[in-house]
This record gives sequence, structure tokens and C-alpha cells, in this order.
Amino acid sequence: MAETSQFELRLPRHRLDRRFIAWRTVQALLWGIGVLGALGAVYWYAEAARPWIMPVVVVAVPIYVVNIVVMPTWRYLVHRWEATDDAVYALTGWLTKKWQIIPISRIQTIDTEIGLLQRWFGLATIAVTTASSEGKITIDGLDARIAGQTVERLREVTAAAEGDAT
Amino acid sequence: MSDEAWRQLSIRVVHLDLIRVAISLVTGYLGIVLGDDPIWPLVGGACAGLVGALTNLQRWRTTRYRITAQRVEMRSGWPGRRHRTVARDRIRSVSTSANPLPRLLGLATVHIGSGESESSFKLDGLDRRHATRLERELMPGSVLPAVADEVRDPETVIARLRRDWVPLNVVTVWSLFAVAGPLFGLYWLLRPFGVDLLGAARGLLEWNPVLVVAIALPLGVAVTTVTFLVENWNFQLVRKGTAPDTALVTRRGLLVTQTVQRSDERLRGIAFAEPLAWRWLRLTGTKVIATGLRAGGESTTSGVLPRIRLAEARDLAARILPDGSRPLEAALRRHPRGALIRRLGWAVYGPVLAAGALLLYGWSGAIPDWVWPLPLVLLPLTLPAAVVAYLSLGHAVTGDYLVVRGGVLNRRTVALQRRAVIGWTFEQSILQRWGGRMSVGVATAAGSRYYTVPDASVEQALGFAVEATPELARRFIAEPHGPGGGAGASHRG
Repeated sequence: MAETSQFELRLPRHRLDRRFIAWRTVQALLWGIGVLGALGAVYWYAEAARPWIMPVVVVAVPIYVVNIVVMPTWRYLVHRWEATDDAVYALTGWLTKKWQIIPISRIQTIDTEIGLLQRWFGLATIAVTTASSEGKITIDGLDARIAGQTVERLREVTAAAEGDAT
Repeated sequence: MSDEAWRQLSIRVVHLDLIRVAISLVTGYLGIVLGDDPIWPLVGGACAGLVGALTNLQRWRTTRYRITAQRVEMRSGWPGRRHRTVARDRIRSVSTSANPLPRLLGLATVHIGSGESESSFKLDGLDRRHATRLERELMPGSVLPAVADEVRDPETVIARLRRDWVPLNVVTVWSLFAVAGPLFGLYWLLRPFGVDLLGAARGLLEWNPVLVVAIALPLGVAVTTVTFLVENWNFQLVRKGTAPDTALVTRRGLLVTQTVQRSDERLRGIAFAEPLAWRWLRLTGTKVIATGLRAGGESTTSGVLPRIRLAEARDLAARILPDGSRPLEAALRRHPRGALIRRLGWAVYGPVLAAGALLLYGWSGAIPDWVWPLPLVLLPLTLPAAVVAYLSLGHAVTGDYLVVRGGVLNRRTVALQRRAVIGWTFEQSILQRWGGRMSVGVATAAGSRYYTVPDASVEQALGFAVEATPELARRFIAEPHGPGGGAGASHRG
């Protein structure tokens, strides 16, 4: 619907690293192989369970195909992030988009996480939490070096910003 | 200063893990030897224990932490790595805990966080002396002032238990359970003696079910009445203290007087919860929303008043809030028609999806063919629920508060101070995008820590954020109609 809105959400400034697509594809592939492989094994060995497994497989296969083929690229096109001296702002999601913002003064912990798969791709995840666990922002698929620099800067900025009484 | 050395967890963690390995090995051995066949639960438990202990050893090997003048840091993990930082002036609570076995070895866990039950930062495996020192170091002056001087504080009574509140609180779903529960216990108690209570009950039900309910319900109500009176005897809600240092205090209870104290400094808002079944009587429960520090017997969200009539609750709410405002009575904005359609859609496709799943199973031969339409029976329940859910929706910004309302079985109206907002979340599914709608999430350190405005129009959603926190909203919300707005608008296509 072409309802003209007075306000609109600005896009965060930066895209993720391109390797995000490869990383998420491999990840989805591994999950797909794991889950479908397990289902297939049960289907193969336990004849009594076949009528129960069959419908699950019928639903799961297309979901995993979409997850592997479409989801990583789509997510790459949607995901954006920025960390300024005032706030951390991120846009994530694919079918459902999600914008999140946390002002610097409310940040409680800053994490970097590098999983095994991420390390192979030279990627890292930044997570910023507040006193509200649902308010957590996770930016994954950043170049490890950029993530390091960003976190270092955020640490300095948060230490400088006056913490407020939350 | 940041050259502060990285420290390691206590060596006792290794001792603990060696003990755990030994225990697992012994259990596993017993599991294999004791019977003719291996006793699988024992073997499985032993394996899990072994894996747990080895993982924990690995954690001990890789974890390093340090405390500098500005922050607390922890590195851990292998093969994945994790680096966590908390700025020291953001630390709201520090506490220690220990499970029985670690405690025997003198180990403790230090939780650093915002007072949430699930702490955001956990140092598991420090020796106890070190843990207490750390606790003191990170939270100087966290010791609460002595209780003795509270007695002299002036008090104003906001509410006392009134006799006409009692009937409003004693008829609940629980009144039925209040009878059923003990009866069930009695049934199990009498069974060994050959008294078949269930058989007797079945006989009774066949005899006359209406009569059974007619007997059980008054009994149940009697039980809940007694419970309510025992819990709320001498109920008193007072404001205590002098101007800058005031607190809200509830006292109640016949046998044990329960006193809950909430500092006004931490008060962030107030909420009503109106149960659907009692909407016709306009009954509501009242809760206060406060930021959490578990220390000193303060609870984060909890009822301050029993269930009473809305009009009375509104007057009391104005006195509960220190600034005397009445945000809960603000006129709320209606959500767009699309929100109703979406809820009706959910009401239909939940049962339809379930029916579809059953149809698939029927087709694969797992269940009989005729079962699949059964979920559709739910439709007469879900459709009205959808309408109720839509009618509950509403939001507004009034004075220092933002107000949100929603819910089906319990309609919750929440008024939260604008300064308590610590972050925003906007979500938009594909269907919402087509309908020009959006869901807003308000993150806060108080109460349930996350309040939502589901399915507002984009205009309403962003307007809500702009009104509530104009300063922050400017960082991420553009106004195309403002100066230079043409450029902003052209980004959209």
C-alpha cells in the first residue's frame, strides 16, 4: 500500500562482509546434512517409524533447500549495521526485517565471538547487550579485523560515556 | 592501567573436575559390571558426566579474566573464541553463588550484571576468598543502610485492605483446583488402604455432575477466601521516608508479615492487568514496574494491590506514582484495521496448519484418516479471541510516560517512564510490509524488560519512538518532509 508516511527508518551505514554469504551457506548446508541425514537414517533403519518420519521429511526438505540456496544471499542484501559515538544500530532478517538500536550510554557488555566456522572465513560476531536481554544486538559476519577495531572503539566510547542509572 | 595481568580461574576447578571424572568412571564401571546387561541409564549418565567434566577442564584452561580501573574482561572458549567486556560503571549488581560440590571445595561463581536472574557475566570457578574480595572491589558501598533507622520515617497510608475487596479476589479458576488438588492427594493417600475414592467419585458424577460442581465450588471459594485472608490480613500500602529518599512499602499477612519495599528512585512505571473473565465487572490487578536489584528484598515487578475495581485502582495508581500523574487513563491510539485482519488470519491458520499436518500424517498412514479435521473445532474459540486481541491493542505517549496495551486473557496496560527506554526494536514481516504496519519493541531495565506494541501502522510506530525519545529517534528515523527531505524520500524506491 502506498500510504505516505511522515517518518521512515534510515538504513544503517555499513553492509556486512561478502564472505557472510559463503559462511551462512556452509553453515546451512552442514545443518541440513545433519538434520536430514539423521532423519534419513531413522527412516532407513526403523521401519515402524516411517509413517511418522515421512511427513517431517516432506516439509523439512524444501525448507532446507530454501535455507541453503536463498537465505544467505537474501540476508546479505538486507543486513546492515553501524556503530557511532551515540548508538549501535543494526538491521537484520530476511522474511521478517528487524531494526534495533541501543544508545551507547545504555550498553552493558560488549562481546566478540568467533566460532570455528567463522574463523575459517576470517569473520567475527559482535554482540552488544543492555540491561534488557531482548534488547541485545548481534551483528554477525563482520570481517574479523573490522570487528576488532569496532569493539575496541566501542569499549573506549562506552567507558567515556557517563553510565546512567538503569 | 590496562596492562593489568590476565588472571586464571582457581586451580581447584581442576581438582573438582578430576573428582567428577572419578565419579563418572566409577558409575560407568558399576553400570557395566552390576547386571548381566549394562545398565544403560548409569552408563549414559557416566558418559554425560565425563563429557561435562572434560568440557569444564577445557573451560578452565582457556578462560582468562582481568579487572582494570575501567572494565572487567573475560576471554574464553575453544575452538570458538569469545571476548566479553563490561564497563565498571555499568555494573548494577554483583553476587556470588555455589553448587554443593564446588562449595565443598571452596569454589564460588561470581555473577556480574544488571540484577537479572540470568546474569550477563559469570565468572564460574573462583576460590571463595577471591570471590568475596572481587564482590567487594566491584561494588563498594553496596551494603544497605541499617534497618533500625527506618522506624522513625514518616509514613502516609495509600491503601488498606477493605472488606468489599475480599469477594472480588476469591472466585478464580483456582477455587476449583483448590478442592480438586487436596482430593487428588487424598485419593493417593487412601488407595493403599483399599478405599477407592475415584470409583466413588465416578459413581457421584454419574449420579449428578451439576450437583458435584454445586458442592465443590462453594467449598473451593471458601478455601480461596481463607487463603486470601491469611495472605492479605492487615494489608497496607504506604509511602515511607522523606522527600528525596522515599519508598513504597507493602505489608501483609496474618501468620507471617510479609514486607516488600521498593525505592521510588527505582520506580519506572505502573501496570494494570484486567482478566478477560472479569472485564464485565471492570476488575484489575495492579503492578509497579521497577528496575531490578535483587538485594534488600526488593522485587522487580510484583503486584502492589489485590484485584479491585478499575475506578478505585486508578485513583490509587495516581497516589502510587510519586509524581501523581495518571498515564494509565490516557486515550490510546487504535491500531490499523490490518492488525485485526492479521489476528483473524492467525486464528484461522493455526488450526488449519494443525489440520494440514494431521492430513499429512493420515496420508502417510501414521494415524487414522478421519482425525485431520479435528483442530478446526477450535475456530469458534480462536476467532473471538482474535477480535478481543485486536480490541486490546493500543498505545500512546503522555507526559513523561509511554503507554502500551495488549493481551487476550489478561489485558495489560503498561505505563513506562520515557527515561526508562534503553533501546528500540522494530520488526516487519513481509505481510506487514505490504500492509504498511510494524511491531515496536521497547527494551527497558525495569519490569519484564521488554514491552511490545504489536502491529501499529508504520506512521504510528515511528511516531511513537519520536515522541517517546526524540533525541535518540533522530539517530535512526528520517523525516522526508523536513528540510532536505526530498533526498530522503528518493531513497525509498
